[in-house]
Amino acid sequence: MSAALELSNVTKFYGSFKAVDDVSFSLQPGSICGFLGPNGAGKTTTIRIILDILKPSSGSVMLLGHSSALEVRHRIGYLPEEKGLYKKMKAWSVVAYFATLKGLDRKTAKQRAYELLDRYGLKDFANKPTDALSKGMGQKVQLLASIAHDPEFVILDEPFSGLDPVNQQVMEEIIRDMAKRNRTVIFSTHVMQHAERLCDRVILMAKGKKIFDGTIPEAKRVLPHRVRIETQDDIAPMRNFAEVLSIRPVEKNGETHRNGSAQWELEFRENADPQAILQLCFDHKIRLRSFNQSEPTLHDVFVRLVGPEAKEASFR
Amino acid sequence: MKYAMLVAWREFAESTKAKGFWISIFLMPTMLFFSIQAPIWLEQKATPVRYYVLVDQSKNLAPAIESAMEKNYQRRVLEALGDYARKYCASQLGSPPGANPLGLDGDGEANPRSVESFISKGGKDAAVERLKPHLRPDAPAFQSPRRPYQVVGLPSDISSDSDLSTLADSLKPYLRGERQLEYNGQPITLSAAVLIPSEIENFIVRPQTNHASRITHHETPATNPPRPSTVNPRSIQYWSINASDPRLRDDIEHAINSEIRQREYAAQGLDVAAIRQVEQTYASFASLNPKKEKGKEAVSAADAVRQWAPSGFVYLLWLVIFVIVQMLLSNTIEEKSNRIIEVLLSSVTPGELMMGKLFGIAAIGLTMISAWMLAVFGILSWKAGGASVLAGQMLGVLKTSDLIPLFSIYFLLGYLMYAGFILSIGSVCNTIKEAQSYMSVLTIVMMVPLLTMTFIPKDPNGGLARLLSWIPLYTPFTMMNRAAADPPMFDLIGTLVLLLATTAIALWMSGKVFRIGILRTGQPPKVVEMIRWALRRES
Repeated sequence: MSAALELSNVTKFYGSFKAVDDVSFSLQPGSICGFLGPNGAGKTTTIRIILDILKPSSGSVMLLGHSSALEVRHRIGYLPEEKGLYKKMKAWSVVAYFATLKGLDRKTAKQRAYELLDRYGLKDFANKPTDALSKGMGQKVQLLASIAHDPEFVILDEPFSGLDPVNQQVMEEIIRDMAKRNRTVIFSTHVMQHAERLCDRVILMAKGKKIFDGTIPEAKRVLPHRVRIETQDDIAPMRNFAEVLSIRPVEKNGETHRNGSAQWELEFRENADPQAILQLCFDHKIRLRSFNQSEPTLHDVFVRLVGPEAKEASFR
Repeated sequence: MKYAMLVAWREFAESTKAKGFWISIFLMPTMLFFSIQAPIWLEQKATPVRYYVLVDQSKNLAPAIESAMEKNYQRRVLEALGDYARKYCASQLGSPPGANPLGLDGDGEANPRSVESFISKGGKDAAVERLKPHLRPDAPAFQSPRRPYQVVGLPSDISSDSDLSTLADSLKPYLRGERQLEYNGQPITLSAAVLIPSEIENFIVRPQTNHASRITHHETPATNPPRPSTVNPRSIQYWSINASDPRLRDDIEHAINSEIRQREYAAQGLDVAAIRQVEQTYASFASLNPKKEKGKEAVSAADAVRQWAPSGFVYLLWLVIFVIVQMLLSNTIEEKSNRIIEVLLSSVTPGELMMGKLFGIAAIGLTMISAWMLAVFGILSWKAGGASVLAGQMLGVLKTSDLIPLFSIYFLLGYLMYAGFILSIGSVCNTIKEAQSYMSVLTIVMMVPLLTMTFIPKDPNGGLARLLSWIPLYTPFTMMNRAAADPPMFDLIGTLVLLLATTAIALWMSGKVFRIGILRTGQPPKVVEMIRWALRRES
């Protein structure tokens, strides 16, 4: 199957500032991709280049088999990062207007608008001007406006921001539904839990570069495995083993020791078995009060990859 | 194009929902209506009757004054009858058959002879009788106009024999409005007092004498303390707190002086009847325009309207363009500040978006203009039937001239040119506040035609008018202003071509600025930078 989206060596300069630096990736139809990265990483610029709102300085984009998004604009839906609506327009009319711009005829667009607003709990607000809606409702209206024409390819910039937990869940369902119907979804977010729950794939950007591209398990493997142990004995002998990369005390309320025992976090090589660490402790007569093996979260991966200590090191 | 039209439709539909749009639609006809109706109302109701007392200690002038004031009033009655005849006589335009029996001249003005013959033929009642056969059956009865001035007697506690300064002092409370007089059982406020000293015959100023005596106009001290200057005991005194309306004073002064002159003629042994005859002689005077068709060269009041009508159109043009480019600006900035622009640009190209906005707002402008035109025609036709001569003349000019087609052309081109600038500004600004610094420059530039509007008609093909016509920013307004004066074909075509070219360039350049500016955030760029974008080659 040909890729729904393919970026090849896309670079964008604003004057002398390189906002996007040689970014390449491709997405398969029906996949959900999380587009992650700190503020100013170049995500929005990349999205605008995908949409052909901006022209790349070099490199190329193929979207649904076309070199310009405008050629396939009827098949694309886009929710921008900063949300805004025409304040005086009624909710249904905003949804319908954007749907007509995507090729729906006026009557169908109106029908769709009422249908969607009804389905997502905004029936009573359909005839209200959008400035009478709460922020969350407004955002839902805007999302509905961007998908009212049932697009094949959907780009959502920060779709979860400003939504309460219930509506975040609704948003997740909308995204999953679309993927089930073989729609391709790419969304950016700062909240890693959403990406973790939804995405087949995450792409992480920092300072204009793509610094990670892979599945969630792959992302988690970027970080060394960790265990947390609690003991009152000296753990110095552990430092002598090659599998252990680092040991650092875990502070709680500014103290490392509590009731005579201390907590430590050990990082070890990717292929080392946590059981071996346990065995080492027994061998060195380190009496454990607790032993905790935890998988790194996507949040940890994010912080590590874009944090200052990680710089722009490539992990793959 | 389909998408540009969708954008245009939304712009149009949303703007017509705004209150401001409807206010501007209704404001103009309302203003027009009141500007026609107000003088009529003022005439009928608003000016109150002004009461004055006349104390003539010389016992010599009062009858002459009263008869002159009565004659003035009869003149008003006669003119009102003329209007009445024009409005209700069976035949409409030209000289109504009923107007001639009144002896009025062509413009409905009463001359001294016609007033005298009106009075001698029996005044109002007789004239109404003479008009009756010519009137339309639905004509209402004639209403005499109210007297603007009414003489009243002195209050009972004031004696007309006391000396003038005492008299003036005792009248002051009445003149200041602190006390009221009674007239026909109604309390009234005194607006003026005319006091004539008993020795006035001795104080008449003649060219060979140096006695200074004339009516002096005293302001009754209402709030200010009295001025130290003493009242000249040799003058006739006119007391009033209303210094701004001199009509009563002028009427009385004129009556007294013409009476005094009549007596002088008699005293010097001249034939008073002959002099009166001489005074009523005049030469008739006609204004002619060499540009007009032979036999119809006479300049009528309609020609003055024709001369000035373009100014109205210039103002309309200016107003519409100014109002709708502001709309264009605020709509563009709304989309930009809300970031709706990104969604739009994922659906339409910047070119389509820009076209859509231009067309949508142009449609708003055309709607406003059409609504105004309809209202203007409506109001003028309604009022043209005699109540307002001006309305009829304006209507005639609108129907016969090419002002409306010219107006349409200049509106479209002028709007598109200014819209080009506005779109450039709107596309780079995130808030109206940011746009203000650019807008203030544009507003000042746009003020020029408003300032020149009043004096271009006086010299419509002069140096200044021609110079401004050739500056494309001012071409629409100035050429519109000159429209009635048959500007040279060279000016008409040349400036139109230049305007077309400028409009095309403005739109093309603003298209480029728009594409770059519309997605920019942060500080708006310097004008130089925008010009650089505009001139940059497409990448």
